[in-house]
Amino acid sequence: MMVTKEEVKHLGWLARIELSDAELDRYTSQVEEIIKYLNKLDTMPLEQIKPIIAKKKFADLRPDKSSDFEGDALGTKYRKDGFVKGPRMT
Amino acid sequence: MVPYALGAGQVAAGIKSREFSGEEYVCQLLERIEKVEPKINAFVTVSKEAIERARTIDKKIRDGEQAGPLAGVAVSIKDNICTKGIKTTCASRMLESYVPPYDATVVRRLLDAGAILIGKTNLDEFAMGSTTEFSRHGTTRNPWDISRVPGGSSGGSAASVAALECAASLGSDTGGSVRCPASFCSVVGMKPTYGLISRYGLVSYANSLEQVGPVGRTVSDVVSMLNVIAGADENDHTTADGRPAYSLQEGNGPRVGLVREFIEGADSAVAKIIHKAVDTLAGQGCKCEEVSLASVQYALASYYTIATAEASSNLARYDNVRYGFDMSPEGYEWNSYFAKARSNFGDEAKRRIIVGSYVLSSGYYGKYYLKAQQARSLLKRELKTLFKKYDVLIGPTMPILPFKIGEKIDDPLKMYLVDIDTVVANLAGMPAISVPAGFADGLPVGLQVMADEFREQTMLDAAYLFEQAAQVQRIPEL
Repeated sequence: MMVTKEEVKHLGWLARIELSDAELDRYTSQVEEIIKYLNKLDTMPLEQIKPIIAKKKFADLRPDKSSDFEGDALGTKYRKDGFVKGPRMT
Repeated sequence: MVPYALGAGQVAAGIKSREFSGEEYVCQLLERIEKVEPKINAFVTVSKEAIERARTIDKKIRDGEQAGPLAGVAVSIKDNICTKGIKTTCASRMLESYVPPYDATVVRRLLDAGAILIGKTNLDEFAMGSTTEFSRHGTTRNPWDISRVPGGSSGGSAASVAALECAASLGSDTGGSVRCPASFCSVVGMKPTYGLISRYGLVSYANSLEQVGPVGRTVSDVVSMLNVIAGADENDHTTADGRPAYSLQEGNGPRVGLVREFIEGADSAVAKIIHKAVDTLAGQGCKCEEVSLASVQYALASYYTIATAEASSNLARYDNVRYGFDMSPEGYEWNSYFAKARSNFGDEAKRRIIVGSYVLSSGYYGKYYLKAQQARSLLKRELKTLFKKYDVLIGPTMPILPFKIGEKIDDPLKMYLVDIDTVVANLAGMPAISVPAGFADGLPVGLQVMADEFREQTMLDAAYLFEQAAQVQRIPEL
């Protein structure tokens, strides 16, 4: 087996997605089939080919400025003292 | 013809000449939507403000003010394109309550041109899919046979146009998401050159591949939309300079290359109609030849590597602390809250996040992502060589006919394989359009016309030439 259930579980954890046992079973075989297909890339002699890279330079990007929007742009009711409330860190 | 069945240009002309009012037109459309939506399910949201907006346009026209080139034209917008004050859900639970505080540039430009936003359309969650079955809002059905898929991911956009629920629509195309449903629903759908249309306000899925694209019942409607939305935008630095203007002309017999690999991989019923389309173009003075695009065999592997890698990165931002559904953070630790909340992504989104995380994993980057970018480069090089000899390349938009709802939903790889003819344009950043080519067993087949980067006019000329000669446009019975 190329892709194991443990790997899919670990990838789910890295991506912060809780997966049920049924999902793990289903995704393991499906992901394996997809990865097998992507391995097609191995059969191509690509050593001499340069990959496509973005033409825009980092310095060309627009300034990272904040925009003032009217109303509630955050869409959450969990707030305290003007801040958005998240889960505890530890 | 009743106003709601008219194309964008005819509606604008009719309202401007006061043959009918914008209000009458919109009321008719809303009645039409109420009648056909139980069968089609193209809309996620129908705009309550459309009638009020139509009244404003009518008043402007009565007062002799400029109302814009699309004055009074009702358009639908895919629900992954931001609309100020109107929910933009991406057909996902993760954005079920998101109300954008701003309009996407494409929406702003349509509104400035006088268009009326009639509603937001259904899609596969976060535009990931080819059938519109992966939606939190239920499956959209094909107006030509409601037991079949409309294509995707912009299935709601194409179905709403085909079912006469609006004059035109905007979708987004990452690997064929405008052209696939356009083909399956027998309408015209276009993906522009990467950088021609602003992505500001389009919810990101795979940034290096995706573009917003117009959908209409005719090439003329697509051109009308394109002329309003295309061009530089200071909020999207990947847009090219200038504001181009395209015209509707048949051109002088373009040199046409029929891509052998596309036709060989198609069902015989589809191939037969495409060969007939070649005869039609030849009859119009086009020089048609069969050509080979050898590297297309690596296109899907390259596409799904890049798309899933970018998706896994883009979807990392949805933490449910902002925008999401109601789930209190009380009592949760940081990681467990996110993992629990993010388990509410749908099946296909989760699958793509996992595949994307796999191909970007330590040790696999060179094996998958880098090679995928090299394959992309090779494909583009091969296409550039072909475009020295041919003005346009053609083939079927989809290799198969619209299939039954649920037929491929449990086999993701089988589903991915139907994208083979459309992903090429996204990987190369080149424009492509799907035009209705005919029907097989009562089901639509689309002809894909592709051109070199920023050669939209050449592509539109060929598409218009074919459309005028073939005359296959029909209206589905609903």
